[in-house]
Amino acid sequence: MEKLLVIDLTEKSYKVENIDPEMARGYIGGSGLSARLLYDRIKLDIDPLGPENPLMFMTGPLVGTSMPSAGRCAVSARSPLTGFWGESNTGGFIGPEMRFAGFDGVLINGRADKPCWVSVLDNKVKFHDAAPLWGQDTYQTQDSIKEILADPKARVACIGPAGENLVKMAAIVNDHGRAAGRTGMGAVMGSKNLKAIAFRGSGKVHLADPAGYKEVVGEILQTVKDDLSAQAFQLAGTSGYVDMATMFGDMPAGYYQVGEWEESSNLSGILLAEEHLIRGTSCYRCPIVCGRETRTVKYKVDKVDGPEYETIASFGSLALVDDLEGVIYAGHLCNVYGLDTISTGSTIAMVCDLFDKGILDAEQTGGLEIRFGDVEMSHRLIEMTAKREGFGKLIAEGSAALAAHYGVPEMAATVRNLEIPMHDARSFSGMAPVYALSPRGACHLQGDMYGVDLGMAPATELGIHPGERFENSLEKGQTTARSQSWRSVYNALTVCHFMNPGASKIQRALNAATGWDYSLDELMLSGKRIFSLKRIINHNLGSTIEDDRLPEFMLKGFSTGGYARF
Amino acid sequence: MAHKFPSDEWVKAVRELLNNSDSYQRSAKDWEGDFIFVVEPDEEYADTAYLHLELYHGSSPGAAMVDPDNLPETEYTLNAPFSTWRKVIDGKLDPIQGMMTGQLKLKGNLMKIMRYPKAAQEIVACCAKIPTDW
Repeated sequence: MEKLLVIDLTEKSYKVENIDPEMARGYIGGSGLSARLLYDRIKLDIDPLGPENPLMFMTGPLVGTSMPSAGRCAVSARSPLTGFWGESNTGGFIGPEMRFAGFDGVLINGRADKPCWVSVLDNKVKFHDAAPLWGQDTYQTQDSIKEILADPKARVACIGPAGENLVKMAAIVNDHGRAAGRTGMGAVMGSKNLKAIAFRGSGKVHLADPAGYKEVVGEILQTVKDDLSAQAFQLAGTSGYVDMATMFGDMPAGYYQVGEWEESSNLSGILLAEEHLIRGTSCYRCPIVCGRETRTVKYKVDKVDGPEYETIASFGSLALVDDLEGVIYAGHLCNVYGLDTISTGSTIAMVCDLFDKGILDAEQTGGLEIRFGDVEMSHRLIEMTAKREGFGKLIAEGSAALAAHYGVPEMAATVRNLEIPMHDARSFSGMAPVYALSPRGACHLQGDMYGVDLGMAPATELGIHPGERFENSLEKGQTTARSQSWRSVYNALTVCHFMNPGASKIQRALNAATGWDYSLDELMLSGKRIFSLKRIINHNLGSTIEDDRLPEFMLKGFSTGGYARF
Repeated sequence: MAHKFPSDEWVKAVRELLNNSDSYQRSAKDWEGDFIFVVEPDEEYADTAYLHLELYHGSSPGAAMVDPDNLPETEYTLNAPFSTWRKVIDGKLDPIQGMMTGQLKLKGNLMKIMRYPKAAQEIVACCAKIPTDW
């Protein structure tokens, strides 16, 4: 991790900086290194949507190599949705292409006076007028830029109308439907008048020990062949988890207040595969191929990227919708407008709940009856949110702000202002501290105890063992803390969480790629350091221990369903 | 009366419980596909045993301990050492966790079984209800 491209949009200038090698070693890359590089810049008095908020794209030391499932890219800034540390990461091919173009990361400062986009082609940086692209959706934007560059293999990260309109849950989208969705990084990009950044390169990533790297990568690929969870993801994508999640009570229903909802079965990933699947799709050098390309005849869309499990639950069971095609289309609308499906779906489901409880009525929503089970209404609200039209203006601020607006902040299913993802902590108790302590707000990627307890993501060499999912003990807390540290390492490496070949193989790959001499203990120490640093940034932004808790209503148990023992 | 595991009477007792279980019948109402459970030797059990469980549309038409030289063709086999089966049947190892961690080795159409996790759980629940002589 050596080269950082620093872009000043205000001045339309750029420079290349060398990353301090000791800093790179200590924080590895991805969101870890981003946190360290941005630590001095993210202060309480900066406006998340102001030119002073730095926006960082950062790859990791294994990105662009032969390492499987290591092609991700982290995007970080102060979050306009939460007000705290913001990070998101995306798959596809954008991370590797950035490295092939000559850079490990890109820091974007300032604000362009008018819409622009930036191309980075083999070390050559160019600023372009984005006026003709402004208003285009994310797919159109990516296709337009490839056409302008006359290069169909260019990789484009862009915003859609949601990012342009500073919707707080706007995503950055690349490789058509891959997204850095969480914490509103698309709004930060929009606030800078930056429509897109495109990469194309012919370079190669240098390896310190190519022979050693090849050997360990071979071993890692072998573990994938024997990994049942990888096989399951390959067969059915993340949506294949729907039936199991329903059984465990992990897939929330009725805005987390319905214990057992058998209609979830109609959202099954197996049904998706049988009736709507076109093909599986993968990120750079990923043998798991968990991505789905689907179609919906009902809504006349021939190519939809996804939906992933999180999207199915957010627009499906959470809103008591069991119309799979309607959910597919909701996911598609979020992709093209550039919206995070979790935050958008969850906020709409919360509005349904507010209607249900009589806190909201049609007079307050411009005549809209927003009820559970109405996926067509969700479609309408997605468009209104992306365009900030009517009641969509309020949804665009996110669940926490919307609930506070109506005087019921306790009714938002958020932690540190970020909507809780689709793994109910009452189903896997380890997820409760994961959500409560996660630096970016409620997040299943800062420790995945549901995966650990399912046996999908153990790291036994590090003391991360599958356990009893309802256990509430010191030991469970310690396992959770180790999982948080280990996933902080993953988020710094930018390795996908579905790739779990064992900790020592990851350690060997990192050392062979970089020439570093990490022991497993030191690697875990780096994970703790990164996790703690992000929390210190939050502390500097005003977060306190009072924020480290789940909403009360999400701690209530049910008498039926998969989490009846909670 | 306790049944020895693994044995013909034990797997027949599972069949009987499944056929009397409303929740199994509901969760497996469209399921078609027999299983052979292979009990492998370890320090607690010296032999290899094969338990055949027929499963069709929420019921179990037949069950038997079968001879290794005359194994019926089944859609699925699930292998584990004796002590691992004991943990599953005693409720100390979740079968899905067991499969994901490779302690139970499944052969067969994974996609189909992912559609019916609750049925799998109900089978294990029935197994756990049988008084077992280890």
